[in-house]
Amino acid sequence: MDQQATVGELSFTRVFDAPRPLVFRCMITPEHLTHFWGPTGTSAPVERIRVDPRPGGVFETVMVNDADGSEYPTRATYVEVVEPERLVWTDDHSGMTVTATFTDVGADRTEVHIRQTNVPEPFRRPEAQAGFLTSLDRFAAHLAQLAADGAR
Amino acid sequence: MMPLADERLDATFTALADPTRRAIVARLARGDATVNELAAPFDMSLPGISKHLKVLERSGLISRSRDAQFRPCHLERAALDPAVEWIEEHRRIWDERFDQLDAHLRDLQAGPSGGRNDEEDQ
Repeated sequence: MDQQATVGELSFTRVFDAPRPLVFRCMITPEHLTHFWGPTGTSAPVERIRVDPRPGGVFETVMVNDADGSEYPTRATYVEVVEPERLVWTDDHSGMTVTATFTDVGADRTEVHIRQTNVPEPFRRPEAQAGFLTSLDRFAAHLAQLAADGAR
Repeated sequence: MMPLADERLDATFTALADPTRRAIVARLARGDATVNELAAPFDMSLPGISKHLKVLERSGLISRSRDAQFRPCHLERAALDPAVEWIEEHRRIWDERFDQLDAHLRDLQAGPSGGRNDEEDQ
Protein backbone atom coordinates (compact mmCIF):
# COMPACT_ATOMS: atom_id res chain seq x y z
CA MET A 1 0.00 0.00 0.00
CA ASP A 2 1.45 3.32 -0.72
CA GLN A 3 0.47 5.74 1.98
CA GLN A 4 1.18 8.69 -0.20
CA ALA A 5 -0.20 12.15 -0.21
CA THR A 6 -3.72 12.80 0.74
CA VAL A 7 -4.43 16.04 -0.94
CA GLY A 8 -7.46 18.02 -0.11
CA GLU A 9 -7.01 21.63 0.58
CA LEU A 10 -9.17 24.59 0.57
CA SER A 11 -8.46 28.21 1.10
CA PHE A 12 -10.91 30.77 2.23
CA THR A 13 -10.57 34.48 2.95
CA ARG A 14 -12.94 37.00 4.48
CA VAL A 15 -12.47 40.58 5.65
CA PHE A 16 -14.31 41.69 8.79
CA ASP A 17 -15.02 45.23 9.92
CA ALA A 18 -13.58 44.66 13.36
CA PRO A 19 -10.20 44.98 15.08
CA ARG A 20 -7.93 41.98 14.93
CA PRO A 21 -7.82 41.22 18.70
CA LEU A 22 -11.61 41.03 18.78
CA VAL A 23 -11.87 38.78 15.74
CA PHE A 24 -9.22 36.51 17.21
CA ARG A 25 -11.00 36.35 20.59
CA CYS A 26 -14.18 35.34 18.81
CA MET A 27 -12.44 32.27 17.42
CA ILE A 28 -11.28 30.98 20.83
CA THR A 29 -14.11 31.98 23.17
CA PRO A 30 -17.13 29.69 23.64
CA GLU A 31 -19.47 32.63 24.33
CA HIS A 32 -18.55 34.01 20.91
CA LEU A 33 -18.18 30.74 19.03
CA THR A 34 -21.72 29.74 19.91
CA HIS A 35 -22.97 32.65 17.79
CA PHE A 36 -21.40 31.55 14.55
CA TRP A 37 -19.70 28.16 14.67
CA GLY A 38 -22.65 26.03 13.59
CA PRO A 39 -23.37 26.50 9.90
CA THR A 40 -26.89 27.39 8.76
CA GLY A 41 -29.47 24.95 10.09
CA THR A 42 -27.34 23.97 13.06
CA SER A 43 -26.41 25.49 16.37
CA ALA A 44 -23.39 25.12 18.61
CA PRO A 45 -24.57 25.19 22.25
CA VAL A 46 -22.19 27.21 24.38
CA GLU A 47 -22.16 24.71 27.26
CA ARG A 48 -20.79 22.04 24.94
CA ILE A 49 -17.89 24.05 23.53
CA ARG A 50 -14.54 23.37 25.15
CA VAL A 51 -11.61 25.56 24.31
CA ASP A 52 -8.13 25.40 25.78
CA PRO A 53 -6.20 27.70 23.47
CA ARG A 54 -2.61 26.57 23.79
CA PRO A 55 -0.57 23.99 21.89
CA GLY A 56 -1.88 20.55 22.84
CA GLY A 57 -5.07 22.08 24.23
CA VAL A 58 -8.49 20.81 23.32
CA PHE A 59 -10.98 22.41 20.92
CA GLU A 60 -14.34 20.65 21.10
CA THR A 61 -17.66 21.61 19.66
CA VAL A 62 -20.99 19.95 19.03
CA MET A 63 -23.08 21.08 16.11
CA VAL A 64 -26.74 20.28 16.64
CA ASN A 65 -29.04 20.01 13.66
CA ASP A 66 -31.96 22.39 14.33
CA ALA A 67 -34.41 20.25 12.37
CA ASP A 68 -33.94 16.81 13.89
CA GLY A 69 -31.61 17.31 16.85
CA SER A 70 -28.88 15.10 15.43
CA GLU A 71 -25.45 15.94 16.69
CA TYR A 72 -22.05 16.30 15.06
CA PRO A 73 -19.38 16.39 17.73
CA THR A 74 -15.92 17.42 16.68
CA ARG A 75 -12.77 17.17 18.71
CA ALA A 76 -9.58 18.87 17.71
CA THR A 77 -6.24 19.73 19.25
CA TYR A 78 -4.56 23.10 19.01
CA VAL A 79 -1.17 23.01 17.36
CA GLU A 80 -0.35 26.67 17.45
CA VAL A 81 -1.92 29.64 19.21
CA VAL A 82 -0.31 33.01 18.53
CA GLU A 83 -2.69 35.72 19.62
CA PRO A 84 -3.85 37.64 17.63
CA GLU A 85 -2.12 36.32 14.52
CA ARG A 86 -2.43 32.66 14.00
CA LEU A 87 -4.44 29.69 15.12
CA VAL A 88 -3.81 26.12 14.04
CA TRP A 89 -5.74 23.04 15.07
CA THR A 90 -5.93 19.44 13.91
CA ASP A 91 -9.08 17.39 13.92
CA ASP A 92 -8.48 14.28 16.05
CA HIS A 93 -10.60 12.05 13.87
CA SER A 94 -9.84 13.06 10.28
CA GLY A 95 -6.37 14.48 10.81
CA MET A 96 -7.49 17.55 8.98
CA THR A 97 -5.58 20.67 9.88
CA VAL A 98 -7.01 24.15 9.86
CA THR A 99 -4.78 27.21 9.85
CA ALA A 100 -6.43 30.54 10.52
CA THR A 101 -4.33 33.63 9.85
CA PHE A 102 -5.43 37.06 11.05
CA THR A 103 -4.08 40.15 9.29
CA ASP A 104 -4.71 43.87 9.81
CA VAL A 105 -6.01 45.45 6.65
CA GLY A 106 -6.54 49.07 7.65
CA ALA A 107 -8.19 50.68 10.63
CA ASP A 108 -10.28 48.14 12.50
CA ARG A 109 -10.49 45.79 9.58
CA THR A 110 -9.20 42.24 9.76
CA GLU A 111 -8.64 39.66 7.11
CA VAL A 112 -9.04 36.07 8.15
CA HIS A 113 -7.54 33.44 5.92
CA ILE A 114 -8.48 29.83 6.46
CA ARG A 115 -6.40 27.06 5.04
CA GLN A 116 -7.77 23.62 5.53
CA THR A 117 -5.73 20.57 4.71
CA ASN A 118 -5.61 16.92 5.44
CA VAL A 119 -2.24 16.50 3.88
CA PRO A 120 0.17 14.17 5.70
CA GLU A 121 3.14 15.85 7.30
CA PRO A 122 5.86 14.98 4.76
CA PHE A 123 3.86 16.64 2.07
CA ARG A 124 3.48 19.89 3.88
CA ARG A 125 6.76 21.28 2.64
CA PRO A 126 6.64 24.81 1.24
CA GLU A 127 7.57 23.80 -2.28
CA ALA A 128 4.87 21.18 -2.31
CA GLN A 129 2.26 23.59 -1.07
CA ALA A 130 3.13 26.38 -3.44
CA GLY A 131 2.07 24.63 -6.56
CA PHE A 132 -0.50 21.95 -6.55
CA LEU A 133 -2.24 22.28 -3.25
CA THR A 134 -3.46 25.84 -3.47
CA SER A 135 -5.03 25.42 -6.83
CA LEU A 136 -7.13 22.42 -5.93
CA ASP A 137 -10.26 24.21 -4.85
CA ARG A 138 -10.21 26.46 -7.90
CA PHE A 139 -9.70 23.36 -9.98
CA ALA A 140 -12.75 21.75 -8.43
CA ALA A 141 -14.84 24.82 -9.21
CA HIS A 142 -13.54 24.77 -12.73
CA LEU A 143 -14.40 21.11 -13.16
CA ALA A 144 -17.83 21.59 -11.68
CA GLN A 145 -18.37 24.31 -14.28
CA LEU A 146 -17.12 22.09 -17.10
CA ALA A 147 -19.32 19.27 -15.90
CA ALA A 148 -22.33 21.59 -15.77
CA ASP A 149 -21.61 22.92 -19.27
CA GLY A 150 -21.05 19.49 -20.71
CA ALA A 151 -23.86 17.72 -18.86
CA ARG A 152 -26.25 15.95 -21.12
CA MET B 1 -22.50 12.39 8.90
CA MET B 2 -19.49 14.14 7.48
CA PRO B 3 -17.37 11.75 5.47
CA LEU B 4 -14.17 13.73 5.67
CA ALA B 5 -11.47 11.25 4.99
CA ASP B 6 -12.62 8.14 3.27
CA GLU B 7 -10.25 6.16 1.12
CA ARG B 8 -12.04 6.89 -2.08
CA LEU B 9 -11.68 10.60 -1.54
CA ASP B 10 -8.01 10.18 -0.70
CA ALA B 11 -7.43 8.34 -3.98
CA THR B 12 -9.19 11.08 -5.91
CA PHE B 13 -7.26 13.87 -4.23
CA THR B 14 -3.99 11.99 -4.64
CA ALA B 15 -4.69 11.52 -8.33
CA LEU B 16 -5.44 15.22 -8.65
CA ALA B 17 -2.37 16.29 -6.72
CA ASP B 18 -0.28 16.35 -9.87
CA PRO B 19 -0.55 19.26 -12.32
CA THR B 20 -0.13 17.04 -15.38
CA ARG B 21 -2.93 14.78 -14.20
CA ARG B 22 -5.15 17.77 -13.53
CA ALA B 23 -4.49 19.01 -17.05
CA ILE B 24 -5.35 15.58 -18.43
CA VAL B 25 -8.60 15.53 -16.48
CA ALA B 26 -9.46 19.05 -17.64
CA ARG B 27 -8.77 18.02 -21.23
CA LEU B 28 -10.97 14.93 -20.90
CA ALA B 29 -13.75 17.05 -19.45
CA ARG B 30 -14.08 18.40 -23.00
CA GLY B 31 -14.30 14.94 -24.55
CA ASP B 32 -12.59 11.55 -24.94
CA ALA B 33 -9.02 11.51 -26.21
CA THR B 34 -6.32 9.01 -27.14
CA VAL B 35 -2.99 8.78 -25.33
CA ASN B 36 -1.30 10.51 -28.27
CA GLU B 37 -3.74 13.38 -28.17
CA LEU B 38 -3.30 13.71 -24.44
CA ALA B 39 0.48 13.67 -24.70
CA ALA B 40 0.61 16.35 -27.39
CA PRO B 41 0.44 19.46 -25.15
CA PHE B 42 3.04 18.08 -22.73
CA ASP B 43 6.76 17.82 -23.04
CA MET B 44 6.60 14.24 -21.93
CA SER B 45 7.16 10.79 -23.36
CA LEU B 46 4.27 8.45 -24.04
CA PRO B 47 5.38 6.13 -21.23
CA GLY B 48 5.42 9.17 -18.94
CA ILE B 49 1.87 10.03 -19.88
CA SER B 50 0.85 6.40 -19.58
CA LYS B 51 2.06 6.37 -15.99
CA HIS B 52 -0.20 9.30 -15.17
CA LEU B 53 -3.08 7.64 -16.96
CA LYS B 54 -2.62 4.52 -14.85
CA VAL B 55 -2.86 6.55 -11.64
CA LEU B 56 -6.00 8.22 -12.92
CA GLU B 57 -7.42 4.90 -14.01
CA ARG B 58 -6.76 3.29 -10.63
CA SER B 59 -8.48 6.16 -8.87
CA GLY B 60 -11.52 5.58 -11.04
CA LEU B 61 -11.36 9.07 -12.51
CA ILE B 62 -10.85 7.81 -16.05
CA SER B 63 -11.58 4.65 -17.96
CA ARG B 64 -10.15 3.30 -21.21
CA SER B 65 -11.99 1.12 -23.62
CA ARG B 66 -10.45 -2.33 -23.91
CA ASP B 67 -11.29 -3.06 -27.50
CA ALA B 68 -10.98 0.10 -29.56
CA GLN B 69 -7.66 0.31 -31.40
CA PHE B 70 -6.46 3.56 -29.81
CA ARG B 71 -8.06 2.94 -26.45
CA PRO B 72 -9.45 6.44 -25.97
CA CYS B 73 -9.57 7.74 -22.41
CA HIS B 74 -12.86 8.74 -20.92
CA LEU B 75 -13.47 10.95 -17.89
CA GLU B 76 -15.74 9.34 -15.32
CA ARG B 77 -17.43 12.51 -14.19
CA ALA B 78 -19.25 10.84 -11.34
CA ALA B 79 -15.93 9.88 -9.76
CA LEU B 80 -15.13 13.55 -9.36
CA ASP B 81 -18.31 14.30 -7.47
CA PRO B 82 -17.12 13.28 -4.00
CA ALA B 83 -14.03 15.48 -4.31
CA VAL B 84 -15.98 18.43 -5.63
CA GLU B 85 -18.62 17.90 -2.95
CA TRP B 86 -16.02 17.71 -0.19
CA ILE B 87 -14.57 21.02 -1.25
CA GLU B 88 -17.93 22.66 -1.74
CA GLU B 89 -19.23 21.38 1.58
CA HIS B 90 -16.30 22.81 3.48
CA ARG B 91 -16.37 26.03 1.57
CA ARG B 92 -20.07 26.36 2.40
CA ILE B 93 -19.46 25.72 6.10
CA TRP B 94 -16.83 28.45 6.31
CA ASP B 95 -18.95 30.79 4.25
CA GLU B 96 -21.89 30.39 6.60
CA ARG B 97 -19.75 30.61 9.71
CA PHE B 98 -18.21 33.82 8.51
CA ASP B 99 -21.57 35.34 7.59
CA GLN B 100 -22.64 34.70 11.17
CA LEU B 101 -19.36 35.91 12.62
CA ASP B 102 -19.72 39.09 10.60
CA ALA B 103 -23.18 39.66 12.06
CA HIS B 104 -21.93 38.81 15.55
CA LEU B 105 -19.05 41.29 15.27
CA ARG B 106 -21.47 44.00 14.19
CA ASP B 107 -23.65 43.27 17.23
CA LEU B 108 -20.65 43.37 19.56
CA GLN B 109 -19.42 46.66 18.19
CA ALA B 110 -22.84 48.23 18.21
CA GLY B 111 -22.50 48.14 22.01
CA PRO B 112 -24.76 46.73 24.69
CA SER B 113 -27.72 48.92 23.75
CA GLY B 114 -27.02 48.86 20.07
CA GLY B 115 -29.80 46.90 18.46
CA ARG B 116 -29.16 43.30 19.38
CA ASN B 117 -31.58 41.05 17.69
CA ASP B 118 -31.65 37.79 19.54
CA GLU B 119 -35.34 37.12 19.92
CA GLU B 120 -36.13 33.54 19.17
CA ASP B 121 -39.81 33.60 20.04
CA GLN B 122 -41.56 34.60 16.89
